[in-house]
Amino acid sequence: MADAATAVVATEMTVEMIKASQMGMRAIAAAIAVGSTGIATAIAEMVIGSAAVGATAENKDVFGLVLLLTVIPETIVIFGLVVSLLLLF
Amino acid sequence: MFTPEGMTCVLIAATKSQMEPVIKEIYRQHLFHIEEFVEKDKEEYEGYRIGTPLPQANETSRELLRLRGITNAFMIQEDEEGPGEKQKHAQLSKQIERELPILEKEVEDLLSRRSRLDTQIKEYEQRIDGLKPFSGISVDLELLRGFQTFSVFSGYVSRTPSLDIPHEIVTSETKKERFIVLVVSNQHRAIAEQALQNTQFRAVPVPDETGPATSRIGYYEGQVLSVKGELEEINRRLDEIKNQHRGFFLACNELLTADVEMAEAPLRFATTGESFIVEGWVPTERLETFRQGIHYATGGKVYVYELDPAEVEEVAPVEYRNVSFAKPTEVLMDVYSRPRYTELDPTLLVSIIFPIFFGIILGDVGYGAILLVLSFGLRRFLKGEEGQRLLKILRNASISSIVFGVLFSEFFGFSLPWAPILFSRHLNIGAHTTGHGPDVTNLMMMAVWIGIIQITLGRVLGMINHARQDHGSHRIKAVMANLGWIMVLWGILAMLWAAFPMPLMPDFTVLQPLVMGLNLSSILGIVLILLGVIFIARDSALEIVELPTILSHVLSYARLVGVGFSSVAIAMVVNFIAIGMIIEPQLESLTAFGVIIIIMGALVFVMGHLGNTVLGLLGGGLQSLRLQYVEFFTKFYKGGGKKYIPFGMKKRFMED
Repeated sequence: MADAATAVVATEMTVEMIKASQMGMRAIAAAIAVGSTGIATAIAEMVIGSAAVGATAENKDVFGLVLLLTVIPETIVIFGLVVSLLLLF
Repeated sequence: MFTPEGMTCVLIAATKSQMEPVIKEIYRQHLFHIEEFVEKDKEEYEGYRIGTPLPQANETSRELLRLRGITNAFMIQEDEEGPGEKQKHAQLSKQIERELPILEKEVEDLLSRRSRLDTQIKEYEQRIDGLKPFSGISVDLELLRGFQTFSVFSGYVSRTPSLDIPHEIVTSETKKERFIVLVVSNQHRAIAEQALQNTQFRAVPVPDETGPATSRIGYYEGQVLSVKGELEEINRRLDEIKNQHRGFFLACNELLTADVEMAEAPLRFATTGESFIVEGWVPTERLETFRQGIHYATGGKVYVYELDPAEVEEVAPVEYRNVSFAKPTEVLMDVYSRPRYTELDPTLLVSIIFPIFFGIILGDVGYGAILLVLSFGLRRFLKGEEGQRLLKILRNASISSIVFGVLFSEFFGFSLPWAPILFSRHLNIGAHTTGHGPDVTNLMMMAVWIGIIQITLGRVLGMINHARQDHGSHRIKAVMANLGWIMVLWGILAMLWAAFPMPLMPDFTVLQPLVMGLNLSSILGIVLILLGVIFIARDSALEIVELPTILSHVLSYARLVGVGFSSVAIAMVVNFIAIGMIIEPQLESLTAFGVIIIIMGALVFVMGHLGNTVLGLLGGGLQSLRLQYVEFFTKFYKGGGKKYIPFGMKKRFMED
């Protein structure tokens, strides 16, 4: 407690400011969680998606199967979303 | 309900003399799914050959081809509405023999005349194009060609060339371009060419015409007009024929298509010198009618034999048998894969679960109402069975969305006059935020529970499927493996319950430790996991690497909440921008300019919510569909069933 008080004095920050900056850090962490997993999903779906379109052009019957394959990496971004929601609330 | 229509495999054997009556009868009944005969080099296939089409096949096909030529020219679609009453088959055949050739002759004549006139018009127009540059020059065109001692240059230039040789030049100028005709004697030709090159000369050939260009253009334009008049006359006559005989053409098309299909049916039969065999499937319920029909049609001269269902049911074609509520969802099943004959048909389950998931994701009374209106409004425009079925699915989904909207207390991102009945999804967005914010933890737990229940259900269905489909020792192993997956899932849960108190979950941390600091719940969990892993490994040891999917699949249901949140967030942001930031500040002191800003704010509001509706439809639809396809179906469903396509057609324009 004493350390915290000196820290506040040393950086001339009020408790409200510290709380706000902590909230800000959490928001940044949440943004990184969603953003990076989103990029990862996009890269994975890019490769699968282009192959899927090719396969569908050859044979229309595989549409259901390739739709399924294309959405599999979405789990990654959902995990990111779960993490960020837990961080924020 | 959970099984497809029962099918019986039937063999029909008879002498070739009975082939035509048999084909006619099975075509009329529209029940028999023909199993195509394929020649193989095996012993039991020896002596059988693929049949040859009936003798009238060639002529009928040719007739049909000519008819299709006409209907294409008239742009008559096969699925068009026909005349109200159906025509008698026998009467129609006579009419086809008598009237169709005459009509065809007339239409073909008209069509060939029309194409001849079309080319004529093109030719005239080309000539007019060639003459147009000369229209400003009043010299007779005949005087511009055929000289031996003079050279004539005609074409476009950027400026009139200056020449110090004896020459004659005629110029015509329009706003954009300058056209010249230059005549020099042959000895000065090289000098003239040089001079023209400096003026960016583009040569235009002198047309092969007599008289001044303007009068020739007038002549050809007159010709075009008269040909066009003739064309109009032909088109009017064609329209007349189309309107008068459209029903007849449609009926003819149906009859001839049926005749061709029947005539070509023997290509799917196995034949020997004097006899034929055809194998196929009939719905078990209608088998007696089918038998009797064949018996009457052939006077009992045909042998109909039922095959033992246990031996052949693996390859039976599949016709859905669902209650009418679940029928539209068959479209979603066909997108993935039709169930096999021996497999459970999960259509009913999907038809219930899909709208619920959609509602959880897009739980908003406003968006639900828009989609509901859309699903009724588009009925008129979306043709075809598949489109209508998709609209019915959308209708169910949007009703569920409205119900969940009431439970979540949401209307275009605003809250309704009551507090959320289920859990709150209201985010703290905007200047005047009230309330406690979203209830994320409880919502997440709800999603996880939905996942646990659906995955367990999937594994139970997997047990049933393996019990129905597999044989011998593999059967019991496969069933136990599915049980093992359920045990591992619930074992992990029991251990988690023992370790952490969680909302919406039983709290077993309060139980007294029994051995090594483990309480009853953790011990039970460990036993379940160990037994489960053993059961899984007994069926296939490789499956062990799939164990982490238990966790990822259950957590995957968090998308129900996550995607839903994104839709709520967009709605609230749109409201904040449109109302909080654009409209409200203007309302405080209203000016003329302010009114324009308010209108723009309203536009932002409408566009934002329209965009979010589309996103919600895509997100809600695809995500909840994916949960069925990936997380649910992979537990028990294989698919790959053949569609039941009975030989014959639904007669729309004629009757027997």
